[in-house]
Amino acid sequence: MNDTQLKNLLESYNHKIEEAKVLNLQSWVLNFRCFESLQKQKAKSKLKSLINFKIFAIVLGIVWVLFLGFLFFHSLEMSTIFFLVSCGSIIIFTSIAIIVYLYHIVLIGKINNSENIVKAQETIATLQLSTINITKILFLQSPFYCTFWWSTQMITGSPLSFWLVSFPIALLFALASIWLYINISLKNVNKKWFKILFNSPEWTSLLKAHHFLEEINAFKKEI
Amino acid sequence: MSNKKPPKELLQKISDNKGIIFKICNTYCSNKSDREDLAQEIMYQLLKSYHSFNAEYKFSTWMYRVSLNVAISFYRKNKTGSIISLSEKQEDWEDTHPHSSELENNITVLKQFINELKELDKALMILYLESKSYKEIAKIIGITETNVATKISRIKETLKLKFSNLNQ
Repeated sequence: MNDTQLKNLLESYNHKIEEAKVLNLQSWVLNFRCFESLQKQKAKSKLKSLINFKIFAIVLGIVWVLFLGFLFFHSLEMSTIFFLVSCGSIIIFTSIAIIVYLYHIVLIGKINNSENIVKAQETIATLQLSTINITKILFLQSPFYCTFWWSTQMITGSPLSFWLVSFPIALLFALASIWLYINISLKNVNKKWFKILFNSPEWTSLLKAHHFLEEINAFKKEI
Repeated sequence: MSNKKPPKELLQKISDNKGIIFKICNTYCSNKSDREDLAQEIMYQLLKSYHSFNAEYKFSTWMYRVSLNVAISFYRKNKTGSIISLSEKQEDWEDTHPHSSELENNITVLKQFINELKELDKALMILYLESKSYKEIAKIIGITETNVATKISRIKETLKLKFSNLNQ
């Protein structure tokens, strides 16, 4: 096939793709009276539901922080240091997660389809990937759920069960959460353990976002 | 989005450029219901993003940007099953101006080829088919003119090779 033949073929294709019958599409696009119903329907768009989910998570997080805060301040004297440290740490980690979710909402609001394709798609893929930060933070707080009920009486009263059961479990959680915090990163998305651990639709879309971001970077490169 | 009716001039401009929507929907979606959904999504985003339209640029450039961004996001969400089989194509693509059978076959192969391109290359191809200048394509896509030229030339070479292999 030479250049002229290819040019003619591309022209025919272009003509055909424009003229091709698209059931109801033309009538729909031109029927601007549908606009009002479209607005209502689109109010339930996926982006909106993503924002709603994040708002729900933020509200839930705030309620949790307030509840823990209430416990923290009302048991300052009677509680043990273990409870206060655990409770305080969970408050801090949950607050960080709330801030990250708020940042996500700001990012969603900033998505601008009028930007050039590469820039807009990069923003969307980056936003999808930032889910990874929330997961890391939430993993990091897990050991503190094993320590809030510890007390000095527990350690001195039944040292065997503490040092053989409670402490090793908390230590295991601490080591696992630190390891996960370090290793849950984009460089490991293709590792087998990562795929087994995060085999859910959300993580599949995260993997897709990662691959797409790589694709965008390769696309931007001049070769 | 406010409940205000969209400005009449915007609706007129979209109507004048409706071919952009048809072309993008046909390129990115394999079946009719997806095409309708995508067209609806594009329409919604065009109306919603109108405030960001800069009158210094051509309306079609802005419309291409919004429509392609929506199409790529839509395509990524609904990627499974998006590859069009040749038989499906025949059923979906009947038009009022049938061509010769050889040309029909070539168009089918070309459509299959374009469908197999990556999302961003597809966008590039749509704009190239529209005879847009490299400068305008670069502006819409967000890469340099040189990069546009290199990529288009590479796609064309691959296409030529594909047809040469088919004819052997």
